[in-house]
Formats: sequence, structure tokens, C-alpha cells
Amino acid sequence: MTEKYILKKDHLQPFLRKLKKSHQLVAPVQNRHGDTLFTEIDNLDKVHIDLDNQPQNSLKRFFFPQQEVLFTYHNPARDSYYFETVADESAPTLYFGVRPCDMSALLYMDVVFLKNARDPNYLHKRQNNILVGLNCNEPFANCFCNATRNGPFIDFGFDLQLTDLGDRFLVEYDRSRGQEIISSWRQFFAEAAESDVKAQYQAFLEARGKFRLQVHLDQAVKKLAEDEVPESVWEELSMRCQDCGGCAYICPTCTCFTIRDQPISDSDGERVRAWDACTFSGFTLMAGDHNPVDRQMRGIEKRFRHKLQFDVKKDNRPSCVGCGRCVNICFGGTDIVRFINMTCCGNI
Amino acid sequence: MPSQLLELYLPKAAEIQEVIEENSQIKTFVLAFVDPEYNDGFSYEPGQFLMVSVPHCGEAPISISSTPVNRGTVHLSVRRAGKLTEAMHDMHKGDVLALRGPYGRPFPMASLVGRDLLFVAGGIGLAPLRSVINTCLATGHERSITILYGSRTPSDIAFKADLQAWGQRDNVSCQLTVDRAEPGWDGAVGLVTALLGHCTLAPHETKALLCGPPMMIRAVLGQLADRGFADQDIITTMERHMKCAVGICRHCHMDDKLVCKDGPVFTLEELKQLNVMELQG
Amino acid sequence: MTNSINEIENAQVILVIGSNTSEAHPQVARRMFTAMDRGARLIVIDPRRTLLARRADIHLAIRPGTDIPLLNAMMRVILDENLADDLFIEMRTENFYGLRDMLFRLDLEEAAGICGVDLARIRAAAQLYGRAQKAVICYCLGITQHVCGTSNVQSIANLAMMTGNVEKEDTGVDPLRGQNNVQGACDMGALPNVFPSYQQVDNDDYREKFERAWNVSLPPKPGLTLMQMTHGGKDGQLKAMFIMGENPVLSDPVISKVEETLDNLEFLLVADIFLTETARRAHVVLPAASFAEKTGTFTNSERRVQMVRQVIPPLGQSRTDADIIMDLSARLGYVMDYEGPAEIMEEIAMLAPIYGGMHHDQLENSWGLQWPCWDREHDGTPFLHKYYFTRGRGRFVPAVHEPPAELPDDDYPFLLITGRIYHQYHTGTMSRHSPLLSREAGEALLQLHPEDGRRLGLRSGDMVRMRSRRGEVQVKAQLTETVKTGEVYTTFHFSEMPINLLTISAKDHFSQCPEYKVCAVHLEKV
Repeated sequence: MTEKYILKKDHLQPFLRKLKKSHQLVAPVQNRHGDTLFTEIDNLDKVHIDLDNQPQNSLKRFFFPQQEVLFTYHNPARDSYYFETVADESAPTLYFGVRPCDMSALLYMDVVFLKNARDPNYLHKRQNNILVGLNCNEPFANCFCNATRNGPFIDFGFDLQLTDLGDRFLVEYDRSRGQEIISSWRQFFAEAAESDVKAQYQAFLEARGKFRLQVHLDQAVKKLAEDEVPESVWEELSMRCQDCGGCAYICPTCTCFTIRDQPISDSDGERVRAWDACTFSGFTLMAGDHNPVDRQMRGIEKRFRHKLQFDVKKDNRPSCVGCGRCVNICFGGTDIVRFINMTCCGNI
Repeated sequence: MPSQLLELYLPKAAEIQEVIEENSQIKTFVLAFVDPEYNDGFSYEPGQFLMVSVPHCGEAPISISSTPVNRGTVHLSVRRAGKLTEAMHDMHKGDVLALRGPYGRPFPMASLVGRDLLFVAGGIGLAPLRSVINTCLATGHERSITILYGSRTPSDIAFKADLQAWGQRDNVSCQLTVDRAEPGWDGAVGLVTALLGHCTLAPHETKALLCGPPMMIRAVLGQLADRGFADQDIITTMERHMKCAVGICRHCHMDDKLVCKDGPVFTLEELKQLNVMELQG
Repeated sequence: MTNSINEIENAQVILVIGSNTSEAHPQVARRMFTAMDRGARLIVIDPRRTLLARRADIHLAIRPGTDIPLLNAMMRVILDENLADDLFIEMRTENFYGLRDMLFRLDLEEAAGICGVDLARIRAAAQLYGRAQKAVICYCLGITQHVCGTSNVQSIANLAMMTGNVEKEDTGVDPLRGQNNVQGACDMGALPNVFPSYQQVDNDDYREKFERAWNVSLPPKPGLTLMQMTHGGKDGQLKAMFIMGENPVLSDPVISKVEETLDNLEFLLVADIFLTETARRAHVVLPAASFAEKTGTFTNSERRVQMVRQVIPPLGQSRTDADIIMDLSARLGYVMDYEGPAEIMEEIAMLAPIYGGMHHDQLENSWGLQWPCWDREHDGTPFLHKYYFTRGRGRFVPAVHEPPAELPDDDYPFLLITGRIYHQYHTGTMSRHSPLLSREAGEALLQLHPEDGRRLGLRSGDMVRMRSRRGEVQVKAQLTETVKTGEVYTTFHFSEMPINLLTISAKDHFSQCPEYKVCAVHLEKV
């Protein structure tokens, strides 16, 4: 069993203040309009770190920005074409208050960006950061991480993991860096008592019973693998999809991107990488207007198959982490939960 | 970070040594990297492709049409199709573009040794096969080689110099056909499948390599199956929209496969596991 | 809209006419889908088989410009089948006999023939709509951009009133407004004949109220309509124009006439966030601030007034619209001294009764208020005409068919319909700056039926030379069964293919809205 510690809630702010001296701090902050978002924090005393609401964004953009310049290009003459890399200025960062879904999504992004090839921009942002997670005692309205099996509690991937026990947090570590942090800042951490560990277990049991959605994800996975999803499901969903790309942008595991040239002058420009979505027809459109995917009938199919079929086939687990954000953002009613319900329970 | 890592997306400048006008739509660009050291060390295998950068036009995947046996330059045969290829067609000897690669799984050259070879190509589809054919010939492939090439009209026939050279080899049979004849054309008119019908082939001893428009591929596949070709002996190369070429961006997905990494070369056996538009009527 | 957008979710029958809702108003289409999930039936009246039409229970693919005979036929069926709401007609309306007499003279077969729709389908649609307890009609520019646009709207009103489908929650007539604040612009009197809150300029009481407030004398005569301004030509009445956030060089019909008009002005001033085709012709261009650079309100389709807040200060030399107007006014000798948008809103609340309670502090931290909102105590109005129509009783105005100004003939055998697509916005001034949107839709496509394509020797992707009596453009063909034979459809977003070179200047007699939806063209392969 890993060693467990207690951090008093009163001591959270002082603890973060210490870590903030060497790290940029990113945490869920409620802004003046009432929206909670993962935000870079300059002044710890001027913001409200909100651990009661689900952050509307995931950590995706911190590691994989919506737009980033890969390099600049220069073409001063027809016989001269050269490139200059752009230094990535991102500093070592502490991510605080990361829920199990977002933590799992980050581990999935590691596979995407580092397995086939090592993406330099991602790797740079992924190095030298500290991940402090928070288990979910109270799943949010659209959460279904119990169905994707990566929540509501998680026991790997983080440096430190907190569980809310009322006036204190139970603290665990997974990686050696977490252990180092605890030993460097011993004054904040007391060893957990047997009763604290029991309380954590109780919180876990209770949290598992608090999900409001019932999502038969494993059944959908099975139906996809056995090719038993009725054609009418794809057709209905594709026709309803309003092609806004919101699901892909908000999704913590949607990592498809495009690369394009952004001219600055006649001779210079930037090669930019930006988020893309497989639901767009331009995603697969080839030169000469030839498209291997019929968006109107099948546009949305790739997205669900990728998450629930192809990734399962490859890595033996779906790449949906059950955060429920797409349920909230989709205005055509074609989110993944709707798909799973249509597939498993008929049209609802 | 090691410099190799930083260069994942960074192309290398290459100078156009020569432009060969294959027909009104296709040009072959003979290229050499501007950095001589890099150029000397550059190698690839038939079936692989390069990401080509043209200023302000981004990148596009283009399959290599030359043979790696001839070192020093690399050939890219490009059909006018979109913004980037249009811009390339406006480039001349001495102009510089940039390349990144080579990428992709090449043709299984070792498995071709000791087998009869059938190449079926349509239009620009001959480009990647040209790389294979010239490599086979340069490395002394002894068994018979049949090349069937379809074009729209006689003036659309590309790679004329190669076709002529191949035709002069003893073990090579090179046959052309066009969709529409023009005055002076006394060759075959019709689809490549008609040519295929007249070929004597030993299906169990032959590897078939195809590249061309989906319609052609479907027709040829049907005929090869009828004649008893096994799926693993039929090899083709796929084309998809591509951005990163290193297996991350997923533009070139075909189910759980990525054309840039798992392809572009696939056997029919592999393609049948997937939901591929080209194979569907 | 007489309804709120959310009310559509609860309708039993939704009649969509002249609106490609899922492309042009996706947020409204979303509510239609939800309603259908709950069992609602959908009737779509559209010449094209749009995505929404394919989902409809009944799609009536009418000939463009034949809405009145179709609606009249539906009303006649409703009368015949005894589905009219007699109590509602009695209590809330007037001149029903005028309508009834006209309908009784209507020959149903003939009407169906004019529309090119099977009478049995018209009957089915009429029965479906007439029997509903709660029915909503959504219409858009397919109704208004015709020479008979006003009569089209009146016919829709006739249908709704005759069946009592107004004045109730989840029931009504909903024109879908295209732009985020076009409703607000109209509310604020950006129309030739009214002051803010639709107070007529030729009404002495209203005019005096504004004269007192602004301490100036105001002309009692309504101003010029858009077409009168931009189509004046060489001898136009205007010497100078100040155009804010509008690109008539691309968006108005008969572009050549617009260009001639603007080029003959003594002074043209344009304020826009980008250098548009119109701005390029200006003597002076003022860079304007975008939505993210200013504080104020937008009023949407459902009359909801919402706050928009400044996120970043105006970039470069750009300035907010209010700053531009105040500064300009001061230099012209009339000082407009407002501390900021909140003070302007206070004045609006004082002068525009429907905005009476809409102060910034009331709108802050909420989803806004729907007008009419008479005072600070008022909660706003989710649906209109409860208890009575604005004008008292709802008046039936019977209408008869008026064919489009220009129909196909031997020289120009195709009927051109113009419209919009999902990925581009109006003249593309903003949306074409997005590489992703341009990738999705980077050029105009001319939809034509495969049969017509075959006859002209056209395949998808071929370039077509399209000519009308007014001009010529080249555009790429897209063969699709979305359109009927003899009809073609394209969009006006792209300056490289300025479709409004071709469209006609014929316009509605009352609203002066141009007939963008119908003109005759000739096609040939390039």
C-alpha cells in the first residue's frame, strides 16, 4: 500500500504558495461571470479556486494549444526557402485540482503524442510539471466515468492525489516526484490514520452510487466490435449534427489537428498547428474535391468509432473518459451519451 | 532536447534540379537537398512518400517515383490537383521547395524476389510503381514483369521514357491502353482490365501491384480474384488527406489504421479488414 | 418572433416555410429536433430538399414565389374541414369575412397547379397544422425576399390567426432574424420610417418627444429605404453616405448599380472591422471595434436583449461604434456627452417604451430580458400578443398570387434561388478570415439537378458560366437532387463570384425588400 498523508484544508493555500515559487500554477478558478475554468493563476489571493464545480475546459489546451506556431518560414527569393524554430517559453507548471477524467485524458494524450512519434511541442509542455489530482466525491450532472472505468477515484498517473475528507485532504502519491514534494514540504503533511483511510474508502463507495446518468458504454463497445450498430443510428445522428465541432474542441481526448501556413507577408509566414475535428467534411477532403467520407451520412460515425471501437481494438480501452462535457455543449443532441443510448436502448 | 526531436515537423530545403513535363497535368520534379551532407545521407524505399512544402501553401504528401538505387536526387511526380500542386507546377529548375520524410511503410520488396510481377497503373498511379519497377530492374529481377498502364488519351500517357526503356527489356512486357483514342494512336483502347484479360499469368507465383483511381482498382481487384490471386499477393498504395505524416494528427485514418504509418502500402488482405471507400462500389 | 426560441420545443406541429433552419439558424433547428424527439410533426415548405426537408413528415417542394396560393389552399382546406378556430376569430380578429370570401372563390386544383405541389399533400399539411393544439410557424428570407414578401407574411398571419395559433405559449409565428443584432437595429429605429421602439416619424407626438429629448428639430418625412439609397445611380438623391458594418457592394442586388451609386457620392465614409469591398471605395474608413472590444447589448430573434461585455480594449486605432458616432457628432457641432453605454441605455429606456425597463443593471448577470419590458418591475415578455394584438384586433388581409418579377423563359431558362450556407456569414467579411471555415466552404457552388447537368454536359466540379439580364459570373457546379430540375441554387458569400451581379432589383412594394430569391438565368459550361 502506498503511504498516505493528511493535508489540512487550512494549509492548502500556504502549500500552493510554496509550490508556486518554482512553478506556474494552473487550477480551476471561478471567474466573475460564475464560470469555472482551468486558469493560470498570477495572484493566489485574488482568485477563487473552485473545487466544487467541474471546470468547463479540460487541461487539453495547456499541453496542446488550440493554435500554436510550429516554426516560421521564409522565402525571400525563389531559390531560398528556410525555416526557424520558435522557442517554447512555457514554464514548469503545477496543475492543481485535476479530476480523474482529465488525468486519464492526459495519460491518453501521452500515447497519442509520444507513441508513434515524439511530438516536440507536446513533450516540452509535458515535461517538468506537477499534477495534483482530486478524487470526485460528488460526480457532476453529466458525468459517467464509472462507465468508462476511470473514476470517480483514480490511483495512478498523478504526482499527488487528494481526497476530500471534510476539513482535510487525504494525500497519496504515485510518482517519485510526488514523494519528493511531500518530503520537501513535510511541515504540511501528517501521516494518515487508519480512520482517514477508512473515510476515503467510504467516500469512494458513496461516490460510486451518486452518478445520475446510466451509460451502457461497455455494451456500445461490444455492439460496435460486432458491427451491430443499426445504419439508422448513424444516419439520424449525422443528420442532426450541426457541424459545429464543439464536441471535439471541448473533448479532453480529441486530439486531431490540422497544420497550415499562415502568411505574414509575401515572403514570410508561420506554419501553424490548430485543433481540427473529424466531424468536419474538410478533415478528409483531398485535392481535387475527392472525399473518402460522406459527411452528411457518416460524418459523426468516425468520432464514435474512434473512441469506442478503434482505440479499444488498439489499446484495449475506450478513449472516452466520461467527463460529460460534450453532453453539455452539443446542441444537435448528438453527443456520445445519446449515441450510446440509441445504440443500446433504441431511440430515446 | 535532441535536435532530431525538434525537427519532427521541420522540412529541409531542396532545390529543383530538373522539371520533366510528363503530360499537360503531370510534371516530375528532380530534387536534391540543399544541404549536401543531408543529401548524401538521404535514403528511402519504394512506396514511401515525402511531405512537400511550398511557400504559403502548407504541405502535401507526394509519393516518390524514383528508385533509391540512384542516389543523389529524388523524383516526385505531381499531378495538378489543388493549390499546392498548382504552385509546384509554376516552379522551375533552380527554385527551392522543402521536403520532410521519407514516411510510410514501403512495398515489401523482399517478397517480390523470385516471383513474377504484375503492375497495373492508371494515370499518376504509375508514379509509386515506377519506383518499384526501376528498383527491381536495377537489382536484377529475373522473372517476368508485366506492366499494364491506362491513360485517358494518348497525349495523357506519362513516363514515356520509362515505358519505352521497360519495353526493351527481355523479361518485361509493357502494355498501354487509353480511354479515348486520338489520331495516330494504333494501340489498345479501353480499360486496363481488358489488357489484363489477355495476359497469361500464374496467379500463385505472381505478385500484383496496383495503383490508380478507385474505379480501376475495384475492377482490377475483381478480375484478379476471379483468376485466383490470393489477397496477400495483391498490393496497392492508398491516398488520403494528410497533415503530420508521423501518426499523430489522424487525418489519414482508415478505421484503426493510419495511412501515413501503417501504409500507404497495403495488401488486399489487410484492406479487407477495414472499411475502405475505394473497395466499395 | 412572437414566441421564445425555447417554446418551439413544446410545439406539436412546426411549419417551416422559406427557411433552411438547420443551416441558417442551427440554434433554432436544435429546438425543432427536440420537439420532434417529443413527438412533434414537421412540415417543411421549401423549393429545395434541404436536410431539414428530408427530416420532415411532409415536405412541400413548391415552385419559388408561389407561397400565397399554397397558404391560401391550406386555409381553404382548413375551412372546408371545419378546422378554423371560430372562437378565436370572433374574439380577437377582424375582417375574417374578407378572407373567407376570397378563399371560397379559390380553385384548389388551380392553386396546387401554380405551386407545383400535389393537392393531396397540401391537404395533409393543412390537416396536420389545423388540428394541432400548439403549432408554430417559422419563416425566414424565403418568404420576405419576394416582390410579394409583405403579402406572404400576411398570408402566414392569416393561417395562424384562422386556427388560433397565436397568443398562446408554444404557439405563434416566428420570423427568424439572421444576424445577432438585426432585431436590435430595427428596434432602435434603423429603418426609414420609425424612431426607436417603432414610433412613427410622421406622428407629431412621437416626433416632439424625440425633439425635446435631443433638443433638435426632426424631419417629419420618412427617410429613404436601403434600395433607394444604394440604387440611386448617378443622379441619386444622396451626396454623402456613412455606412457602418454593412457591405452593400456584395450584399445588395444589381451590384453594378450599387457601385455606380457609391462612386458618384461626393463623400463616402465607412466604419467596419475589416476593409470590405465597400470600404475600399470609401473616402475615409474608420476602423471599428469588434464585439469583444465593446460593452453594450445585442437583441436577438426572440426579442431578448443581452449584455455583451468588453474583453479586450479596442486593438490598434479601432474605436467602438458609440465612440465613433459621439466624436463625429461633436465635430459636426452636436455634442453627445455620454459617460458610456450604460448612460445610452438609460436614454433608450426613457424614449423606447418596449425597452422601458432595460437598464444595464437589470441585464447584468442574467440571460437578458425580452421586450416589451415596460419598466424596472417588468419581467419581460416571452411570447407576444397575450390577451390582445399590439394593434388591438388581428386583421385578416387576404392576398392573391403575385408571380415573381422575372421567371425563366427561352433565353434564360433556369430559375436562380440565392441563399446562404452554414460555414460562411453574409459577405464573408468576418468568416472568410477563418482558414477552417474556408476549408469547409471556400467557394460558391451552384446546385443543379443531375438531369439538368446531363443536358448541359456538366459534371460536379465543372465551371459554369451563369448569365442573367444584368450580369455574368462563373461558378462551380454541384450536381444534387436537393434542387428540382429547372431550378438552381447558390450563395452570395464570395466576392470572387458576386452572385448579386445577377439578381434583380425588383422589390416588395411595402418593405422595399429585394427579390433575391428568384431571377432567370442562362447556364453554359465554361
